[in-house]
Amino acid sequence: MSDNDKNLKDMWNKAGNFMGTPDYGSETIERFISKRSNSTAQYVKKMMFIDIAVKSLVVVVLAIDIFLYFKTMNVLAVCIMAIILLVSLIFFQFKMLNQFSQIADYAQTPKEKLASMLTYLRSRFFTTLLAISSTYIFIFLSGMLLYFYATYGQVRPLDGQDIIVFSIFIIFGIVFNFIVNQKQVAYQIKHIEACLSDLNDNTLPLVLSNIETQRKQDRINKVLVLLVLVFGFVLLLVVFKNIGFLVR
Amino acid sequence: MKQKQNKKAFSELIEKNQAIIHKITMIYANGRVDREDLFQEICLQLWLSYPNFREEAKFSTWMYRVALNTAISNIRKSKNSFSFKPLRETDRIPDNSNNEKENVQLLYRAISKLNRIDKAIILLWLEEKNYEEIAVIMGTSKTNVSVKLVRIKRKLEELVSNTVKQES
Repeated sequence: MSDNDKNLKDMWNKAGNFMGTPDYGSETIERFISKRSNSTAQYVKKMMFIDIAVKSLVVVVLAIDIFLYFKTMNVLAVCIMAIILLVSLIFFQFKMLNQFSQIADYAQTPKEKLASMLTYLRSRFFTTLLAISSTYIFIFLSGMLLYFYATYGQVRPLDGQDIIVFSIFIIFGIVFNFIVNQKQVAYQIKHIEACLSDLNDNTLPLVLSNIETQRKQDRINKVLVLLVLVFGFVLLLVVFKNIGFLVR
Repeated sequence: MKQKQNKKAFSELIEKNQAIIHKITMIYANGRVDREDLFQEICLQLWLSYPNFREEAKFSTWMYRVALNTAISNIRKSKNSFSFKPLRETDRIPDNSNNEKENVQLLYRAISKLNRIDKAIILLWLEEKNYEEIAVIMGTSKTNVSVKLVRIKRKLEELVSNTVKQES
């Protein structure tokens, strides 16, 4: 060991005496570990978990709608289709949540963690966000049916102006939700890329090529979730106009 | 009940090894509030990762890995108006300085200028980990660690060498 190395280590070893760090007791540490995490990984997990909970709640409301509109064939069909779509999305999101929980595991090496996190955020996260944003349509659909029943006792057909206003609200809600969440992780993505590049281990190019492969694999999921979004809109229009491709 | 007992045992284990976490918070966070926040977050992540801890790895190795992962990923804005003064290129300890506390602060300030990955590597080296252990903890190759360490040490030595010479 060179003299300089020794000197640096000597200085470091003296650090404990000078920096005045608090000495936490086990009770304080026990309190710390009972708190909630504020990491980005926890933020993403919480966002996915809350969305699954909201979707489940919407399924319950749609089941109530089925009970209320039992004699109205087209509303019944809309509710059943919405439930099928939502249940599929819930399963899909559970799968994503499990995948992400493994990625967010801090016991991996920093290189593995940064690489897997970047791969997820740059390939699968877009689909996750789409699935989360689609909840908005189903909240609107189930809530609207409940509102119509409570107010009019039936589905009230809406005129063109109403439909435009409602559609703008829904699209704004979806886009806003999507952008806010994406912005939240964009900074994290930049930070991870910088860290991987600082590692100087040719990791970043490898991860970027892996992201491309994963993106290709995820294309089908993206298309399916987009179809759910479009189909959700169609269902909503059916309720709005009280028309049907289905016979009343 | 069992969970509570586990928590207690785990907290006692962390209490004994808290110096590791303190050193990490000193170089990754500025000011008392941010350091305390990071300390709490590291404790929490250690607790959440504890079920995955395999006995074949050393507890300290696992602890460094989780703690460094948390510190590297932690990119929240500083809550402190007070922080270490950023180090300027021209900063040098005065030749007649004999103050060890100032020297240690200078070392911390120098380390705080490094990027997050370099901070982790130099911290492990200062903590007497050998190249292989550093490579295992960071998940990189031994060669990469040695190449990086040469560069990081040179950078640090430039900043603190005058002070160290005086001390010795």
